[in-house]
Amino acid sequence: MNVLTIQNLSKCFGKQKIIDGLNLSVPEGSVFGFIGKNGAGKTTTMKMVLGLLRPEGGTIHVCGEPVSFGQTKSNRFTGYLPDVPEFYPYMTAKQYLKLCGDVIALSKDELLGRSRTLLSLVGLDGVTKPIGGFSRGMKQRLGIAQALLSQPKLLLCDEPTSALDPVGRKEILDILSKLRGTTTVLFSTHILSDVERICDHAAFLHEGKIALSGTLSEIKAVHGHDSLLLEFSSDEDLQSFKTQEAVKPLLLHCEENSREMILHSRTMDAVQASLFQVLAKTGICPIKIELMEPSLERLFLEVVK
Amino acid sequence: MNGYFAFLRKELTESMKNHRFLILFFLFLIFGVMSVFLAKYIPEILSALAAEMELHSEPVPLDAWKQFYKNISSVGFSAFIILYGSCLSSEYAKGTLVLLVVKGLSRKAVILAKYTAAAILMTVSYWISYGAAYGCTALLWQDIDLSHTAFAAASLWITGFLYLSILMFGCVLFRQAFTSILFTGGIVALISLLGMAEPIAAFHPLRLGTDMIDLISGTAAPADLMVPAVLSILLSVFGLWSAMRFFTKKQL
Repeated sequence: MNVLTIQNLSKCFGKQKIIDGLNLSVPEGSVFGFIGKNGAGKTTTMKMVLGLLRPEGGTIHVCGEPVSFGQTKSNRFTGYLPDVPEFYPYMTAKQYLKLCGDVIALSKDELLGRSRTLLSLVGLDGVTKPIGGFSRGMKQRLGIAQALLSQPKLLLCDEPTSALDPVGRKEILDILSKLRGTTTVLFSTHILSDVERICDHAAFLHEGKIALSGTLSEIKAVHGHDSLLLEFSSDEDLQSFKTQEAVKPLLLHCEENSREMILHSRTMDAVQASLFQVLAKTGICPIKIELMEPSLERLFLEVVK
Repeated sequence: MNGYFAFLRKELTESMKNHRFLILFFLFLIFGVMSVFLAKYIPEILSALAAEMELHSEPVPLDAWKQFYKNISSVGFSAFIILYGSCLSSEYAKGTLVLLVVKGLSRKAVILAKYTAAAILMTVSYWISYGAAYGCTALLWQDIDLSHTAFAAASLWITGFLYLSILMFGCVLFRQAFTSILFTGGIVALISLLGMAEPIAAFHPLRLGTDMIDLISGTAAPADLMVPAVLSILLSVFGLWSAMRFFTKKQL
């Protein structure tokens, strides 16, 4: 079952079309990476899912319920963490969660229990200073706590790690990883290592449309190329290697950098067979041979090319 | 209603924490006290400074009330509008409202709670200022028997609600505090201009904010201000309703 289904969504700002016929399905229980470069429309899409922006066309369903602009009832299924969450600076984390609890009409006991669990999950239990004195990472962690207070089925995280230092990033990714299996997470970002680390599904947003979508392994298997890195001890070895007849077909898709060469192919077994034959025949001994997994970064660069 | 009360509590706390209430309270209190003392002693001060100046008449309680209403209706309410002009713009700019709205906080409740909080603080500040002015007048003059002082004060108080409704509508329409304040000033000026037209002059709502002295001095009766009062209340409700309606469909 899909927690979020977007069909043919479009949105313009003035004459500029930001989202143009976007289709996306987010399966229940997944941690879904929503990838796109800056300005691709990730935040715009999320805001339309939350009913904060009015789409020009298309439909959005959250847990089967249509999203309407303005006051949408489907928001009872969603939690939202913006890229830089801002709170009322004079409140403490507990007071802020109480305000949120009062808004969603939690009973006193429920509010107390959930606040305690969530503040402990995000490592803010025992922090009594006002939010005004929080670091960006602490605000982000409080952002996760407030987003999870209503026990949402879908958590929308809008570039939650982009403004954080490596320690803060790790903390947020660890927390989001812990949600796997309990809450579906739609995680927008342009930091691809974060997606590889915690997501099981991903979609690439480009020119207002989804250019690629699926599980990470599917995307890599269908669209990715394997790569083989060769590092030679001298330029002569590299040049000599390149002049071999059996190697020439392999050089059609390759990159060269100093004494390194990266060969790309969808049939890496055949490439390796030819390569080792040539190396054995010529006696060239590279100082490094490494089979490289297809990376999201390479896929992303191909998509946005 | 849960959302409304929760947000109202937040608004009242915020007004305390950011000293908005404190500033408003003391400003109104100072006007209440100072208006009376200035009315009483300015002639004496002036004659002491300029010996050749002749005083034609002794100051009377009516002078104190003239001073009080002049100060409150101009500087007092202007300060109130400036202080509350940023009540929505800061939430837009920081994005603090979005987190609560996506939790199901009704947008109407946001506007209503902000209006209620501002109205409560204005009411408390205003009536304490009135009380202070009344007390000081009683202290400085033995005979303070003027007609309809409370009704005159209520008239100006009702005008405060109208200003607040216009401001709230401006805050919904514009994202910058300055533009909202400018919008409020513009609408008030427009209503005042309309009031100059003869057929409208008799019942235009801002008469409530200008005719208090006539009431106190007895040249006007409370009945004369009933239509402007009702009209002012109706316009306030309409302004608030429009603000809520527009805010429901505003892109955040």
